[in-house]
Amino acid sequence: MNPRTGVKKTNVTEQGAAGFSPHGAASALEFAALANQSRPRGMKPAALLFSLTSFSLTSFLLISVVSVGVFLLGATQAFAQQIDYERPVDVAPSPEDIGEEYVLPVTPQAPPRAQWREAVDVAVLAAALLLCTWIVLVRRSRRWLVVLSIGCLLYFGFYREGCICPIGAIQNVVVALTDPNAAISYFVIAFFLLPLIMTVLFGRVFCGGVCPLGALQDLVLLPTAGRGAGRYIFTTAGGGAGRYIPLRVPRVLDKIMGTFKWVYLVLAIWLAARPTETRDFIICRFDPFVGFFRFTGPTHMLLIGAGLLVLGMFLGRPYCRYLCPYGAILSLLSRISWRYVTITPDKELDCGLCAESCPYGAMKDLRAEKSSCLFCARCFNACPRHRVRGRPEVTSNESSQSS
Amino acid sequence: MKDKPTRREVLGHAVRGATLVGLGGLGFYLIRKANGEGVWQIDCEKCVNSRLGAVGVEVCDYCATSCVLGLSAVRAVNDYSICGRCYICPAYFDIKSAVNEEGLPSQKLCPRDAIDRKPIGWVDPDDPANNYYEYAIDENLCNGCGKCVMACKEPAGLNSIRLVVRYDLCLDCNRCTIAIACPDEAYERKPLSEDEGVG
Repeated sequence: MNPRTGVKKTNVTEQGAAGFSPHGAASALEFAALANQSRPRGMKPAALLFSLTSFSLTSFLLISVVSVGVFLLGATQAFAQQIDYERPVDVAPSPEDIGEEYVLPVTPQAPPRAQWREAVDVAVLAAALLLCTWIVLVRRSRRWLVVLSIGCLLYFGFYREGCICPIGAIQNVVVALTDPNAAISYFVIAFFLLPLIMTVLFGRVFCGGVCPLGALQDLVLLPTAGRGAGRYIFTTAGGGAGRYIPLRVPRVLDKIMGTFKWVYLVLAIWLAARPTETRDFIICRFDPFVGFFRFTGPTHMLLIGAGLLVLGMFLGRPYCRYLCPYGAILSLLSRISWRYVTITPDKELDCGLCAESCPYGAMKDLRAEKSSCLFCARCFNACPRHRVRGRPEVTSNESSQSS
Repeated sequence: MKDKPTRREVLGHAVRGATLVGLGGLGFYLIRKANGEGVWQIDCEKCVNSRLGAVGVEVCDYCATSCVLGLSAVRAVNDYSICGRCYICPAYFDIKSAVNEEGLPSQKLCPRDAIDRKPIGWVDPDDPANNYYEYAIDENLCNGCGKCVMACKEPAGLNSIRLVVRYDLCLDCNRCTIAIACPDEAYERKPLSEDEGVG
């Protein structure tokens, strides 16, 4: 229903032009309110208040007369310098009234984002996921992964300005499941489910090269100085005891902090499942990096985002590892993934360089841990076998016999 | 090469298959519920600036100040099929300001001077009030502060101006900051088909 139709017409017919001849308490009330609105210092709403509390018809009529009198007095004397405003028409003039072959201008209306553009977003997501899978699991190239993640950062981050993302789509899906009146589009569903399906099949490819938040953190992580034993930037004479980049979080602490993301996920689902009035999308509210994608945002979130990026220079992907609610789901699903990152297919060469290269603490017993491997492909770069041979032929979990 | 899958591998495949089927089921359930694209819309029966009856109250400018965009995605729109094309438009002029030598209010209402006023056809210089005037809002200047919307409301005006979210500007944030700030719960993310918009 258009709010202007219906109600307005009855007003006009009952009240007469601009309501200058009020014939009832309702008109008087409205009129007093109008006078109060347009002349704030002229007539204090004492008459209005009194008319509200009086009940007899005679009082109403009396108040009507008094308020009109006060209004006219105020209009003619106290505010002589301003115009005596009066609405000149009751209805819009038709083009025939205006004449002179007047054409009614089109009221401006902007169409929403075209559906095909949304479909392109989904297609880009699917293509990026497949490409990332190929780069990490088959091509095993860190360089191409960086290219892909920069591309996805530009597209999903800076071009699409962070919306929509699968992380926030958790909330839309929860709302769609709990609120029968809520709107959800096919594209949101696709954004939510595609990375999940890819994770069940291939591991956390979404985290590795597609997620713009992950890419941003991955790119600010300071590279280590060199390769092998001399790689640490702040190496003390003893080597192992010194501070180095990226910071290694003790495994127990890493696991404990990793539970934060589950708390975050449960909280986000709980808040999104509440009724409309109290519903809150905390994942989007506390998205630390979306402010950078849009070059604007609440100051405290920009500060938190900057803080996380500074921390991310020394500690690999703090948001992904400890806070990301979608990462919580992915870490669970990746445990059953069909294919995953395999670092040393040749078991004879357990030199451990790959484990040292991992900035995310995802290596356990010289093997990549499925649930926490973020598909950054740094371990491939660190592998001397990989460097010698360029691209290893062995890509599956099976061990090869080449030497 | 392995001839026979181990028990562990078979179990793994079973769990994977079950998970994929579960995700597929969730997908099908959601697709059946999918009712189009949700876009943020302003319900002008709820918005204090445009709803009838709310007279003599302060203008709410959260649409202009709360949006994550520098210039808000909300615009005031004049519906030409309702506009009275008045000589003295209460949304164009600040009718409380002093009268100038032409007998018109000296101040404009719009703080950003986004409304353009031009007469339709020939104007009699001796009787300029006896003419129609067209009021167009410059979309590049308007920031949706709602002052004109409030001023054009009954009984002073004809309610021809209202606030709308410009879909091409709106980032469609999951958590719309204006919706959170809105004191009247006038923001809703509804399917596009439910837009009763002008034009």
